[in-house]
Parts: sequence; C-alpha cells; structure tokens
Amino acid sequence: MKTTRTIYEDGGHKWIAIVRDPSRPGYMIDTNEYLIVRDDAAILCDPGGAEIFPAVFSALSAEFDPSRIQALFSSHQDPDIISSLSMWLEFNPQIKCYVSWLWASFVPHFGGNGETFVPIPDAGMDILVGGMRLQAVPAHYLHSSGNLHLYDPKAKILFCGDVGAALLPAGEDGLFVENFDRHIRHAEMFHRRWMGSDKAKRDWCERVSRLDIDMLCPQHGAIYQGDDVKRFIDWFAQIEVGILKT
Amino acid sequence: MSIEAGRNRGQQLRRIVRINEEIKRVIAAAFTINLMAMNAIFLAKRAGTAALGFGVLSNELRRFAIDLQQQMSMLSEMTYSSVNTVTALLKQARLNRVMEVTLNASAGSGKVLLEKILHGRLETTLAERQEQSDGVNRRLTQMITDTVQLVELGSVLARSAKIEAAYGGGLSVSLTQVSTDFEQSISEIQRSLEKLTKHHLEESAA
Repeated sequence: MKTTRTIYEDGGHKWIAIVRDPSRPGYMIDTNEYLIVRDDAAILCDPGGAEIFPAVFSALSAEFDPSRIQALFSSHQDPDIISSLSMWLEFNPQIKCYVSWLWASFVPHFGGNGETFVPIPDAGMDILVGGMRLQAVPAHYLHSSGNLHLYDPKAKILFCGDVGAALLPAGEDGLFVENFDRHIRHAEMFHRRWMGSDKAKRDWCERVSRLDIDMLCPQHGAIYQGDDVKRFIDWFAQIEVGILKT
Repeated sequence: MSIEAGRNRGQQLRRIVRINEEIKRVIAAAFTINLMAMNAIFLAKRAGTAALGFGVLSNELRRFAIDLQQQMSMLSEMTYSSVNTVTALLKQARLNRVMEVTLNASAGSGKVLLEKILHGRLETTLAERQEQSDGVNRRLTQMITDTVQLVELGSVLARSAKIEAAYGGGLSVSLTQVSTDFEQSISEIQRSLEKLTKHHLEESAA
C-alpha cells in the first residue's frame, strides 16, 4: 500500500501526496498522486493506472472520503496517468476529468461518457474546486503533445507531471530532493529521452519562472522545494532534450 | 465475478471466433452453390424438356443459397452481439478484480464505501449483463436450429437434382456431375454447422 504525506496545509486547504508503494512490482514505474483538498471538495492530480488503483485508493481513503473527489486532473493521456478513470467513476459517476482538448476524445477509451470530460484549451484555463481557483498551465510537448500542469497560487505549488521526474534507485527515494546534484543524475536520462522539444522546454522554463513556486511536484520521483525549484528550472533550461540514449 | 469466471469469458470469446470462422465457411459455400445453380439453370435450358425438373430444382437451390447467405449474415450479426456482451462481462470482471483487491487493502470509510459499491454491482450490473448474454445465446440457438433445417432442405433438393439428372438426355452426365457438386457443397455446409453447433453449445455452457 502507498503512503500519504501532507505536504501543504493551511486550514481546510491541503496538498496530500500519495507515494511509494513497497508492494509495487518492479516492472511497473512508480508514480506520485496528489490530492488537492479544500474543505469538503478535492481534485486528484494524475490518479494513476488501473493496476495501482487499490494502492492509491486505500491510502487516499484513510485521509479523505473518496466519494467527495469532484474532479480528476489528467496532465496527459498516458496509461500510468489516467487508466484508472473507470474505477474512480464507480465512486462518483459525476466526477469531472480535466484533460487537454487534444486527448478529450482519446481518454474515453479508459472510461467515462460525454459528461465526464472537460477539455482544456492549449492556453490553459482556471479550474474551480470547492471555492479554490487552480490554474492549468501549458506544458505541451513535455512530453505529450497535449500536456498541462496544475498550479495552486495560494499554496505556491506546481504539479508538473513528467517534468522533474526521476527514476530513483532504492535507498535514494525520499519524498523531497535532499541533494540536488545527486538527485538530478536520476532525472537526466528521463528528460533527455522523454522530452521531445527544445523550444517547448524553453517556453515552459520561461513561463514557470514567472510563477511564485515553493514546490515542484512531479508524477515520478521526488519533490523539489525552496531553492531546488529554481535550480531545477535552470538545469532543465540548459540540457539538451529530444535525443536517443546512447 | 471470480478470476475463474473471467477466464471462462476469455474462452467464450475464443469459441465465438471459431463460430465466426464456420459462418464464413458456410457463406463461401452458399456463394459457390449460388454460382453452380446459375450454371445448372443454363445447362438445363440447353438440355430442353428432358431436364425441366432439373431446371426447377436448380432454381430452388439458388433460392436456398440466397436464403442461407442471409441467414448466415444474421448469425454473424448475432455473434457480434455476443462479442459485445462477453467483452462487457470481461470488463466487469477486470473491474471487480481490482475492486476486490482494493477492498482487501482498504480500511475505515473507504472500505465501507467499497462494500456498498461492490454489493450494488453484483446485485444489478452483473445480473443484467448475464441476462443479456443468456438472451443472445437463446436467439443464437434458435437461429442455428433454423439454419440446420434450411440446410436439410438443401440436402433434399440436391438429392432430388441427382435423380432428375438421370433423365437429362444427352446432358445427363454433365447434370449428374453438377448435382454431385451440389451434394458435396451441402455436405461441407452440414459439417461446418455441426462444428458451429458444438462451439455454440460449449459457449452456452460456459
């Protein structure tokens, strides 16, 4: 079973990270899910694949009533992101799934109906959940051609999907980045190989540099906080992407 | 639905594939009979009054081939419905498997919520799907029975054509050859229908 960690809390406003499943089979990539709560309502970022649904659900339900999740935010269309959709809909058939317009007719292959999906335009949009206003921030081609991140201006946290992801070896899988230089080695191959566009990367770096960010929360690996946020953006801005591993 | 039941659904899908293969064979044989019957009609006309009876039977065999093709197309559509139902049951089985694992891993309010949902699913969704599956199976059984009867009629027509061929005057040898071909094609269809019935009975029993 996964564990939950509250990474931000201010009254009824919380960010809960659902992370690190020791029983996960080695052939399946590890994922982080983030639940953003405001009082009785919540949105779940990248709810994960169908096979890890039991681990995510059981950990999450220990902290929050899953039937009160109003929306799912799907950064892109990959199976490790959103293939559990039909299971979440079992608990709340009214649940909304926010996803890039580009994938709004592809993701229904995982479940849902015409009422389920809220297509996000390329420029992004505001998402209202339980009175909190979140911003879907464009991250196209990083790595998916229709890719979005989710920014919480009050908590100053950016859920950054696959950007910032790292494939961490056992023993170096803490929730937060502790030593940036050591950590980033585990992120380098992932970014060079998975990210396809240098221009998209520079656009993203410029865009997020303008945001006030305390934490960068990727879908794989560890969370960047404090000075490591800027360190990561600077590092990402200068690496070469879209190349095959040699 | 258990994992074992899910496996059975997989076997059902494989049986439906085999049924479809037999349907395709029957449609191809019916198409051949149709062409042969057209040729036989021309041949009977050339033979004149001596082959009047053969001509009538060839016409009937052509009609039989067209009816059989239509019947098999309807069977094909029905097996498509079966695929839909079995696929839906497979999806339900997968969902249930994940839900059962989730239930075992959960505690507190999450567990209560899951128990409620799982109970509701077993009570309604699965029962509805099973009913749909049974309905499609019943219709399929009826249609296969009707097809077997239709092919029996075709067999009688082919045998009668063989008898009539003996009175075909100068073209008697050719007409006998054509009626033998009719018989062989219909025997092929009967063998396919036997296999199809066997696969269907296995599918219904699963």
